[in-house]
Amino acid sequence: MMEDWKLRPARDLGLRPAERLRSLGREPGLFGLGVNAAWRRAVRAYLRSFHGFRVEGRENLPAQPPFVMVANHASHLDALALSAALRGPAARRAHAMAAGDLFFANHAVAALSAYAINALPVWRGRSRRADLETMRTRLAEDGLVYILFPEGTRSRSGAMASFQPGLGMLVAGTEIPVVPCWIEGAREAWPAHARAPRPFRPLSLRIGPPLRFSDAPQTREGWQQVAESGEIATRSLSL
Amino acid sequence: MIPHPPGGAFAHPVTTGIILATLAVLALSGLAILAISKSGRAEPEFRKELWLRWGSWCVLLPLMLGPVLLGREWTIAAVTVLSLFCYREYARATGLFRERVLSLVIVLGILAVNFAALDHWYGFFTALWPLMACLLAVCTIPLDRPAGYIQRTALAILAFMLFGAGLAHLGYMANDPGYRPLVLLLLTAVALNDVAAFTCGKLIGGAKLLPATSPNKTVSGSLGAVVVTTTLVALVGAAIFRGTPLANPVWLVAMGALVSVAGQAGDLLLSSIKRDLGIKDMGTVLPGHGGVLDRFNSLLLVAPAIFHLVQYFLGFGLTAPTRVITG
Repeated sequence: MMEDWKLRPARDLGLRPAERLRSLGREPGLFGLGVNAAWRRAVRAYLRSFHGFRVEGRENLPAQPPFVMVANHASHLDALALSAALRGPAARRAHAMAAGDLFFANHAVAALSAYAINALPVWRGRSRRADLETMRTRLAEDGLVYILFPEGTRSRSGAMASFQPGLGMLVAGTEIPVVPCWIEGAREAWPAHARAPRPFRPLSLRIGPPLRFSDAPQTREGWQQVAESGEIATRSLSL
Repeated sequence: MIPHPPGGAFAHPVTTGIILATLAVLALSGLAILAISKSGRAEPEFRKELWLRWGSWCVLLPLMLGPVLLGREWTIAAVTVLSLFCYREYARATGLFRERVLSLVIVLGILAVNFAALDHWYGFFTALWPLMACLLAVCTIPLDRPAGYIQRTALAILAFMLFGAGLAHLGYMANDPGYRPLVLLLLTAVALNDVAAFTCGKLIGGAKLLPATSPNKTVSGSLGAVVVTTTLVALVGAAIFRGTPLANPVWLVAMGALVSVAGQAGDLLLSSIKRDLGIKDMGTVLPGHGGVLDRFNSLLLVAPAIFHLVQYFLGFGLTAPTRVITG
């Protein structure tokens, strides 16, 4: 296989440290992997001991990356809960899409988001065509796992809003599975208005069977179709 | 043993001389850049570039020369940090960093070989090179992923040779009580070698050396650097090695030529890697220079070459206590 002989420099080669933290091409090295692994173990232990975290339907997770996990969004605990359900290569390659204005606001927060949470910034309300293109390419080429909340923001009421079409652009016309998930209890465990999580409130995650959108076209309609199917599948898990 | 007068870090006149000369060059070049800036002839871009480079040197020189003056442990620690930085840049540029197992083994190997230097355990120090080559060759076999095996193993063994085993020789020299003038000479001579090649090339011009590898290098620059560096190293070497078998004009000239040739070879080695990858700089750590490797490439081959030349004639730290940690 000639492809394996291609030397590929890091996608974020030549970026200054601050740019690198916010780059969608950020690829962690040994240090980043170590920090992320330690963080994941700590989060898993915390969720298990303080929220009795349970996962249902783990068998629905695809055996290998790439795939995209989508879920309802009401709390900062959501991304942590989804990544806590992953193991092995999928866990190492999982990137949560996080609001740039919140999680990459300054260098210290950005460093934590990038190194510990392994988050990639999404900038709300800015031109994102090229960014989405980069994410789409990396998902397939680097075999990543994206943790995505297509509602676009945390629900204040607990009711799930409709899914944005950006999800469609990542997966329409590909074999990359979308895994719908439902998180129960996150709003009570860490509401959007609270500064810190509230321990001893139960948290659980239900993972549904993966969806594939190889027939969906890479058009506005196609993306909408993906978003709608994803939304229906996610909502059906809440019952 | 390198002859050394009793006393502290500045006991040897060559140590004092090199430090003073370095400070003088830094001050003079600062004044020269100031004059160029004031004259208004230079483009703002060029002025900024000059100041960036000069500023980087002001930070870099204390980090390079300071540990050598402070002592053996500091020198070895500084070489360890340098090795890790060099490996990091190499791994990110070649893509080897995606191989977690190999990267981890190389980092542990770098730590081990520098530990051997710190321990003053020459047996372990030399054993690590073949042992690491074997370990790197087998450690990815259990992954059951033969695709790309030759490439990743070759990249890994080259990495350990250059940044682990090779650079560690510089730290090991500190086991000799008289190491300071020699290590300072090597650090400054490879920098001078670069400057001499650049200046002679600009002044004389002429045929390109290896245009596909490094388009700016000329034959005249390369030969000029050999003449300048050999002269300097031979003269300073005569003061360092006075009264030893190395203090013979033939060997001193050979040593100087070795510094220059190995230094340029290290430079061209890195140029080849960068050309093959299609990148300009290995990193962005040093403003005006690029990455750490772009600055220290010349040292990669000089360290083991000079180590073994001196080792052959004098030996390092023969009277110093050995295996100071492992007993």
